[in-house]
Amino acid sequence: MKTTVILFFISIFFFSCIGDDFIDDRVDPILRITNPIDSIALDSTYQFQISFLNYVGKEEEVEAEWTSSDETIIQVDQMGLASAKSPGSAEITAEYTDLEGTLVTDSRTVGVGERTVKEQTKGKKGLVSTTSTYKLTGEFTLTSNDDGSIELAFFDDYEASTALPGLYVYLTNNPSTISGALEIQAVEVFEGAHTYTIENVELEQYGYVLYFCKPFNVKVGHGEIEDQ
Amino acid sequence: MKKQYIVAILFLYAGSLLAGGPWPQKKGQVYLKLSEWWLVFDQHYTDQGLLDPNITTGLFNTTIYAEYGFTDRLTGIVYAPLLSRNYMNNLISATNQELLVPGEAINGLGDIDITAKYAISRSFPVSVSLTLGLPTGVPSAGSEGNLQTGDGEFNQLVQIDAGQGFQLSENIGAYFSALVGFNNRTRGFSDEFRYGLEAGMGLLNNRLWLIGRLNGVESFQNGETAATISSTSIFSNNSEFTSYGAEAAYYVTKRFGVSASFASAFRGRIIAAAPSYSVGLFYDMSK
Repeated sequence: MKTTVILFFISIFFFSCIGDDFIDDRVDPILRITNPIDSIALDSTYQFQISFLNYVGKEEEVEAEWTSSDETIIQVDQMGLASAKSPGSAEITAEYTDLEGTLVTDSRTVGVGERTVKEQTKGKKGLVSTTSTYKLTGEFTLTSNDDGSIELAFFDDYEASTALPGLYVYLTNNPSTISGALEIQAVEVFEGAHTYTIENVELEQYGYVLYFCKPFNVKVGHGEIEDQ
Repeated sequence: MKKQYIVAILFLYAGSLLAGGPWPQKKGQVYLKLSEWWLVFDQHYTDQGLLDPNITTGLFNTTIYAEYGFTDRLTGIVYAPLLSRNYMNNLISATNQELLVPGEAINGLGDIDITAKYAISRSFPVSVSLTLGLPTGVPSAGSEGNLQTGDGEFNQLVQIDAGQGFQLSENIGAYFSALVGFNNRTRGFSDEFRYGLEAGMGLLNNRLWLIGRLNGVESFQNGETAATISSTSIFSNNSEFTSYGAEAAYYVTKRFGVSASFASAFRGRIIAAAPSYSVGLFYDMSK
């Protein structure tokens, strides 16, 4: 009897060891041209750059294959260096096949003109909504500031639960976890319009706004960032 | 900066298993219990009363519970979690097996409750008690401050218990009891109304007691929330539940016995959604 009791209490200590929880965090890989332009000046060159996000939304260095729809107008080499040869427009495409055999592409229509014109920076928009049973909703916009920062703005329809401890807002490329996400700050406003100014971030860098209960690893909701 | 969490409320499950009823100990008599209580949960009731998943969290308390009769009417009670353990699991990517958030654990003393229970009537079992919840546990630990062995607040619970014992048959004793209480909580926690019902039946010449319980906590919603305190706090409040539980206590000898119990919630708000269990050894001097 005594031995049984002792063994039982010892077994409880083993039962109380830290275990593993697994989370399905797979996302579709994405290839983005991060510095698109509207046109290249005739007889000049322009270096395109790309960003590849793998199947967990983390950035990887890859070598993409570059093509032009019309090499008589714009030629592009395998480093993404484009050369404007004659007036007109052509579609520039970057593509990459990842280790799992998934082909990802991004392409832009680029003109050849008198001068090189950067693509007009368009704002982004989205709708944050709950993926849990905690209240969370609100439309948002994401815009660039002149000082290089970006601004995440919510409107009057925004509403978030005050019941959760440690609710934080993030920018991320994987809406399932905060691993690799940019923590903006703890949520201070739970109702109505408000803004966050975020330094050292490109408008095209992240794909989602994520709300997460940080201390308990509970996802509350997210919104996909889309072009306006 | 206040740091008070969901798991603070989980200790209520433990407390609910210790209802001593309205009966005081006789002068000089002692009841002692050494028990292990635990709760492991991977989902919780949200503020909407619905279920959401969370990282698997464990709470383990090795507890001494003691009652002592100072007089025939006045009983002193101590509930002391001498070793309390709180852990959270590792969070791992199912896609590439990468460790996303490492698990953590804390071990320490839990929050100690000290109670004075006074029997109002000698003829009818009614008692009034005052419990002081001492913040002796660790209210915040771990890299995110989300591990704890206590809630960090000093609370005062005033409770009235009433009950009645009777014989179901010549060899089967039985009892029922009920309680209501007001828990005054500090440090921004909402005050609470507590209630409970308990019934027990003694079999095998009262050597085996089977006990059923119904307990609940309703929040007065008069505390703070994440919206009303400083931005860096992580704060949970206004937890509520209605739970049911059962216990079997067997007297191995005249005074020594073993017990096992569980409790689980019918409903809840901001509280773990999993059953808690307890096993223990007790010494009952009243026998």
